[in-house]
Amino acid sequence: MFDVPETAMKNPIIEVKNLGLHFGPASRPVRAVDGVSFSIDEGETVALVGESGCGKSVTALSLAKLVSGSSRYVSGSVMYDGKDVLQMEESELRWLRGNEISFVFQEPGMSLNPVFRVGSQIAEAIRLHRKGVDVHDEVLRLLQLVGIPAPEKRMRSYPHEMSGGMQQRVMIAMALACQPRLLVADEPTTALDVTIQAQILELLSELQKQLGMAILLITHNLGLVADVAHSVNVMYAGRIVERGPSRELLRNPEHPYTHGLLAAVPRLTGSVGRLKSIDGSVPHLAQLPSGCKFHPRCPKRKPDCEGVEPELRESGENRAVRCYYPVKQGQHEER
Amino acid sequence: MKNDSGSLLKVDDLRVYFRSYGQTVRAVDGVSLKVGRGETVGLVGESGCGKSTLGNAILRLVDIESGSLDFDGTDISSFAKRRLTEFREKAQMVFQDPFQSLNPRMTVGRAIEEVLYVHRKGDRMERRRKVAQLLEAVGLDASFADRYPHEFSGGQRQRIGIARALAVDPVLLIADEPVSALDVSVQVQILNLLKDLQKNFNLSFLFIAHDLAVVRYMCDRILVMYLGRIVEESPASELYDCACHPYTEALLSAIPDVDRSLSDKGKQARIVLSGDVPSPTMVTPGCPFHQRCHRVRPECKTNVPVFREISPGHFSACHFAEELMGKEDAGFRIPDAG
Repeated sequence: MFDVPETAMKNPIIEVKNLGLHFGPASRPVRAVDGVSFSIDEGETVALVGESGCGKSVTALSLAKLVSGSSRYVSGSVMYDGKDVLQMEESELRWLRGNEISFVFQEPGMSLNPVFRVGSQIAEAIRLHRKGVDVHDEVLRLLQLVGIPAPEKRMRSYPHEMSGGMQQRVMIAMALACQPRLLVADEPTTALDVTIQAQILELLSELQKQLGMAILLITHNLGLVADVAHSVNVMYAGRIVERGPSRELLRNPEHPYTHGLLAAVPRLTGSVGRLKSIDGSVPHLAQLPSGCKFHPRCPKRKPDCEGVEPELRESGENRAVRCYYPVKQGQHEER
Repeated sequence: MKNDSGSLLKVDDLRVYFRSYGQTVRAVDGVSLKVGRGETVGLVGESGCGKSTLGNAILRLVDIESGSLDFDGTDISSFAKRRLTEFREKAQMVFQDPFQSLNPRMTVGRAIEEVLYVHRKGDRMERRRKVAQLLEAVGLDASFADRYPHEFSGGQRQRIGIARALAVDPVLLIADEPVSALDVSVQVQILNLLKDLQKNFNLSFLFIAHDLAVVRYMCDRILVMYLGRIVEESPASELYDCACHPYTEALLSAIPDVDRSLSDKGKQARIVLSGDVPSPTMVTPGCPFHQRCHRVRPECKTNVPVFREISPGHFSACHFAEELMGKEDAGFRIPDAG
């Protein structure tokens, strides 16, 4: 149902290089993102996958320099149109945010302002970023585009009068208001019911086809990745541990973490044997282990995994893995 | 299904209504179910379908409108407070969010001990010993008793929640979305723990969840709930190959599943339901699901379907359940438009 074009155009619109982001005091930093590099091509859907606390959301927010608080970038750059986003002035950032890159977040109910009608919230983005359009007509068009029935009536609703699925459609309409080239969707369906989740995914992939924008999808759901993304970056403890075209990576995961995650997901088909879990839990980002950050939980660890951390190395066409002893094809145990 | 004499919990035509501003929310609207000894029964449905209310009503945590609750041969629907406390020694609840269900100002040892204290179990020494045993039974270290909830991860907190539920040696556990707040790699740890505890303590489970894959992993029998009613009941093994209610079909097809997405056949298979779950304050004529149903026919709009057995142990509340049973396009394929 989701048509994933086999080859997206090879023309990166944004390139993240060696991004490092720390929180808290410099003496005892929380290393939220450490040496993350990836790029997104025009019209492509890239997924960032990982568990909570792996740094996937702050990486995504960094694309428009939206991380605030006691954070500092300790390394790297985010190149957009030949300019480094991290070095941009406030005025340039205002142009970038909304106009070029826009965001859809997890909980639509928390992102919408409860005291304004949804129509005027969408209109705000249009007024701020676009000149010479009829704002009312444009709001109507956007609401229609995201499949909201009776848009003329719905634009006068307040957020609390809408269901979660409808609210998320409004958020998407708002994100699309300025025809962005990149849409960052941070767990866009996690707070929604499965039947509504299917509707929203359908909508996103439909819109991508129509508008040709690139999507960065942040998720913890591997099933969703297989459905909608061209390529995947698996994150663990602030790093990318594996990368590849999504279907290939899910068929043959090479990093023991990806392998473990896939083995731990209950399935709808096949035998109902006992699932293997990954021992332990995600490490705290201020107290990361030495060497490979996954080694304390890794079933395949060897003594040298505790020493120097492995690099993210090419392991095949478009594939890379951060592991000394990657699982090779054909080594997968039967599930 | 196990034989009647073996069932531990029997719910018959249970109704729970909430009233506000002159409207009536029919949260649970005539539900009947049984849970056998040592059996795991799954209850699935979307948010707002009444599954949590049903779980709460079985433990008498919300007032029931009508219907009977039979636990171990005794009708508990009219129990007063003191007898309810006795009953709740036998039936306990594991809650969804381990971040909100533990008191942040109480050490976990005291939190577990509190349960024993309320139920007047043992003296201080015995209670302490029991707390240590319980912590070890759920895979934690007995020394954790002196720590506070914020020192633990989500998975560990859920283990503490389970230890609290097990403190009074219940025979029935109602687990309301016990893993949905947890990370993928931790979910399976908790699911496996629940499975092991069930075997070791011979527990019966009512497992409430929205994730059909998780339910498949855990349950012997599955009930699918929509708008306060059970629309399908089936042995777990059968439901996934032969869903006999269009709502179950849609739920199954909507779940992003790695295997299915990777097989090309599965890619064309999604049934996208239109619209949202209707408000339970409204009484819809005909089948409650007809507005969203992809197989809707004229009679669905007027006639209320009967919940009936269509094959041994497999019940459905769809006019065309028998057709669906023998359907060619079983499983995940899309039905003909019509």
